[in-house]
Amino acid sequence: MKTGDFKRLSPYLYEIPQAHRPDMRVPARFYADAELLQATLGDKSLDQLVNTATLPGIVAYALAMPDIHQGYGFPIGGVIATRVPDGVISPGGVGYDINCGVRLLGTNLHRSDVAPYLDELATQLQRNCPHGVGRGGGILLTRKQMEAIVRHGARWALEQGYATTSDLERTEENGCIDGAEPGKISERAYERARDQLGTLGAGNHFIEVDVVDRIFDETAAGRMGLFPGQVVAQIHCGSRGFGHQICTDYVNRFQRVVHQYGIELPDRELVCAPLDTPEGRDYLSAMKGAANFAFCNRQVLTHLIRRSFSDTLGGHTHEHQVYQIYDIAHNMAKIEQHEVDGRKMTVCVHRKGATRAFGPGSPVLPEVYRDIGQPVLVPGSMGTASWVLVGTEGSMAQSFGSTCHGAGRMMSRSRAKKEIQGSELRRELEEQGIRVRAGSLAGLAEEAPAAYKDVDRVIEVVHGAGIARKVARLVPVAVVKG
Amino acid sequence: MSHDETNGPIQVVEHTADWALQIRGRDLAELLHHAAQGLAGLLTGDLPVGTDEERTVRIDAYDTEGLLVGWLSELVYWAERDGLVFRDIDIREMTPTALAAIVRGSRVENLQKHIKAVTYHDLAIRSAGEGLEVTIVFDV
Repeated sequence: MKTGDFKRLSPYLYEIPQAHRPDMRVPARFYADAELLQATLGDKSLDQLVNTATLPGIVAYALAMPDIHQGYGFPIGGVIATRVPDGVISPGGVGYDINCGVRLLGTNLHRSDVAPYLDELATQLQRNCPHGVGRGGGILLTRKQMEAIVRHGARWALEQGYATTSDLERTEENGCIDGAEPGKISERAYERARDQLGTLGAGNHFIEVDVVDRIFDETAAGRMGLFPGQVVAQIHCGSRGFGHQICTDYVNRFQRVVHQYGIELPDRELVCAPLDTPEGRDYLSAMKGAANFAFCNRQVLTHLIRRSFSDTLGGHTHEHQVYQIYDIAHNMAKIEQHEVDGRKMTVCVHRKGATRAFGPGSPVLPEVYRDIGQPVLVPGSMGTASWVLVGTEGSMAQSFGSTCHGAGRMMSRSRAKKEIQGSELRRELEEQGIRVRAGSLAGLAEEAPAAYKDVDRVIEVVHGAGIARKVARLVPVAVVKG
Repeated sequence: MSHDETNGPIQVVEHTADWALQIRGRDLAELLHHAAQGLAGLLTGDLPVGTDEERTVRIDAYDTEGLLVGWLSELVYWAERDGLVFRDIDIREMTPTALAAIVRGSRVENLQKHIKAVTYHDLAIRSAGEGLEVTIVFDV
């Protein structure tokens, strides 16, 4: 992809016309500023975006958020909407970590309340929240319990005493997507994840304690209970081996039938099937089951985080509360209503490394947030800021109610591992006042801030483009990595 | 089998978000063997791997690329499920779309990397010189 292949539509929006490649069914659009554009041109992400514009049933345009980077099949940061029921659903367009997402927990604590105990809090979080490669959790699920989680998601956690009703109300889909059938999920998936509920995993997943650095929207921040200097906590993880296996199974199954549906693809990882076929229906059902497992997983981790705060601060500070602000998915396909070419349509919105960002008034939002728009949680990289945003009318009009999901990588993992020493990075972060608890120093190096784009710049783009609005900026004070 | 030997059969390829390996083999059996070694290298680095655990693997795929993905996905499954890594590979039967193998390895306590899945991204087994070559992207 080169600069002559696209045109600028507005200060932060570019379009690759449909004529760019004969197999494109719609144009492709992406959000960027000049610097992010250069980073984006450094890998194959825009070619991957163009590939998604070839999928049958796609409407309007293929989209990419400013944190776009090269993935497999879809670019990370990609959003497409396909017509229901004859458009396609693509398991690779959701990704292997189905319902990878972010949860933000607020507290009634000020930075100064926690500062003397921060080392201990980081250690308790590391001790209580299973993390790292191959680490199972403290809950060994029976098959019957796993099927209940598939059907009921975070509601299962509520029944077991790991959640409050307020937690569920403040979770996308209230923590449970209806329509998940346990029988659409393989034995392998159940086996792979039976000890993984309430575990973080590895890679870019983390638990982080942050402090509210700046407030940009007093009304929205007030509704979320955010105030300057406040201690908050984030969880970033997904459906663990359950989702990985479900996606693996369906990508393989779809390879066998994609040609029967007359679908030609530029990349086999985009494999897909129409939504109104047995394969399409089965995948959607299984995907919902994995999504429910992920909601439940983050809920059990929430319970463990609350325990960590209690273990650390009990008796030391005034009575503390850890409450849920919101929980969002950023790897998901969802059936939604959107306006396309001036008329309401039911579409399947694939968000692969992109966050749902519904604007004010959406009936699916909890009442407490309905007039301000959906909270959007955008984690940065270690040592850099994270952001709380809200969805807008602009995101509904421009991006199928979607916005960015993070900073976006720009350095390969192999290069990061060669150029960055994990021990040195940990020392630098500690010097900045950030407590680091990492399962693997090599893994820490791969996730170094230098491997990522500038999250503040990404946020300026989505704010400037009107597909989300800034509410608060957070800065990290303790990080637990897998 | 080192990952970074120049012109070796297993090479790390730059990839922004994930890990990719370029694998070469004189024939399909060797390609699958080297692919399994490459995966084991990602999982363990230089950690020793024993042979006290044995599994029988049977794969029946739609095509040869599917066979490669199915083969490696099986090994990824055992790594995540039980922390098992297999370096001793004995392919007993093989066609372009099916194989039966005995794999021997051991549990590794400190796996270096979590591999979520083996992708079909741009996956094509190609002739290269007198053998075969493929680049595999792993989701991490």
